[in-house]
Amino acid sequence: MIRITDLRKIYQMGDVEVRALDGVTTDIAKGEFLGIMGASGSGKTTLLHMLGLLDEPTSGQIVIEGTDVSQLTDHEKTMFRLYKLGYVFQDYALVPDLTVMENVTLTAMLRKDRTEEQYRKEGSIVLQKIGLFDRRDHLPRELSGGQQQRVSIARAMVNKPDILFADEPCANLDSENSRMVLDLFREINEEMQQTIVMVSHEEWHKNYFHRIIHLKDGKIVSDGDNQ
Amino acid sequence: MGKKELKVAFLLALRSLQRGSKSSVILTVIIIAMCFTNMIFLPSMLNGIGQSITKQIMDYETSDVIVDPKIGNQYVEDKDAKLALINGMSGVQRASPHYSKAATLKYRQRVLGVTLRAITPKDEMLVSPLYTKMVAGSYLGEGDTGEIILAKPVAGDPTIKREDEFQPSLGGVRVGDSITVEFANGFTKDYRVKGIYYTGWYVADATGYITWSDMEQVEGKTLENAEYITVKAKPGYTEKFIKNELIQYGIPDRVQTSTDVLAKNMGRILQSYAIINVVSMFVSVIITVVVLFIIITIKTINSRRQIGILKAIGVDKEVIMHNYGFQVIILAVLGIILGIIIALLLNVYMTYNPIVTADWTTSLYMTPMDLAINSLILFIAAIVAGYLPAYQVSREDIQSAMRA
Repeated sequence: MIRITDLRKIYQMGDVEVRALDGVTTDIAKGEFLGIMGASGSGKTTLLHMLGLLDEPTSGQIVIEGTDVSQLTDHEKTMFRLYKLGYVFQDYALVPDLTVMENVTLTAMLRKDRTEEQYRKEGSIVLQKIGLFDRRDHLPRELSGGQQQRVSIARAMVNKPDILFADEPCANLDSENSRMVLDLFREINEEMQQTIVMVSHEEWHKNYFHRIIHLKDGKIVSDGDNQ
Repeated sequence: MGKKELKVAFLLALRSLQRGSKSSVILTVIIIAMCFTNMIFLPSMLNGIGQSITKQIMDYETSDVIVDPKIGNQYVEDKDAKLALINGMSGVQRASPHYSKAATLKYRQRVLGVTLRAITPKDEMLVSPLYTKMVAGSYLGEGDTGEIILAKPVAGDPTIKREDEFQPSLGGVRVGDSITVEFANGFTKDYRVKGIYYTGWYVADATGYITWSDMEQVEGKTLENAEYITVKAKPGYTEKFIKNELIQYGIPDRVQTSTDVLAKNMGRILQSYAIINVVSMFVSVIITVVVLFIIITIKTINSRRQIGILKAIGVDKEVIMHNYGFQVIILAVLGIILGIIIALLLNVYMTYNPIVTADWTTSLYMTPMDLAINSLILFIAAIVAGYLPAYQVSREDIQSAMRA
């Protein structure tokens, strides 16, 4: 469970103070597939980055699974991201010089609780699940955008993180590939009770979310279950 | 940093080099190799010159130990007794007396002033490799009279006009020719040229040799004194040992090892070479550091977003830093290996094609220790150059890196 309390992020742009997040308070339940929506500049990516420990809030508190993450050191945050969180980025963010299998198992290789045999096996299972096992030795540039995004999801999933963060994962995909990716998220969420927090501005994505938070000017303007 | 972290850092480094820009990798390796070659070439050549001069001085001037007249004397007196004493010492292979006299050589229309040296050929053969340097005719024999051996530059080349000669010569004396020698004391005699030699050492190559008995004829008396005596040590004996032995045996003259003589005559030159070596090495190291620093800086700047992503997904900054560190290490190792190969090939080439000047002949002189030390210096410099930008970029916050 994630508890967010009065979260604020203020940027100083010269003399102008920009409130990217302005007092966000909410909870995210375990196993929830949460959609964060809003117009460009509404603060949804900023909120996702705060939750994913990629950025520091100006004030407020985030507690993930009982841990107040603002109290963690830089190294502890890195380890928290490695062991507890998974990320899927808009532009896939794969390492171009690594093969599909190497990309997927990269973070698993760093974990103390995984042997080489384990992470290779888990990498193979995840790649089979996303249908790209036969392309495990290909480089990212040899794959389509949709395939690259599926690899990115596999990379996020291989460590079985507590929470998966996705920042507009379908922004660079056509509708068919977008549907494929969203179906994959839904499957992961339903089968593994995986908490997923996803930023999107596409209205039709709503159908996949359990709950949707709408942001405007850094504030939650609506928060409710998807009907 | 644990084993797993290092393994991931190495994997990232290796893959970046394997699958990144090949031309960039090849260019970087060549630059490092060139820097290494530059570091090793000039010092090796200067060392080669130093070694060559040292060897030539020992071969044709001092041998291992030289006995000069004591201060105030013109000659080493009572040379026969001293030679007998020295030759009887345990570490001595042979002692050879020398006597020089200024003379004017005349051949056809050519006249050339030289200082002729008198030797006892049998002794000299055991002390100096001069007898192996004959390019025409043969070396002096012990009982030779009226015969002379001349250096090739003194004999000259008949195909070269006088005005085109690098140094004055007799214009093309050949073995069997007769030359007239007029000594400083007025004694004049015709000598048959028995042989022509070439040593590559400018002092030896500016003179000629006659036998001791011929010099006695020139002086008109039995020569009981020598200008100096050179002493060759037996294998396994050091020149210092021979010097001490000579002093202990009561040789009253000035006894110096070749090292003593070289320190006096060559010390400044060798010091200058050492300074040039240090400057050359320093410049090469700086070039390597700057080149690697620029390359890794460009790499890290171009990869800032990727670095941000890696940090975001839980890759520790140390892993990211070591990734670039390993890249530099691999590039440096490849560059140094290529540099060593180039240096060794140059060494082989220059052994067969030495640099020849009027004064000396030299090739490269490099020891495995020289290669090892230069490799280590370049390696450390490369690591410093690579880690600095890697350290900086790995500490950048995720947001800044991801926005790049």
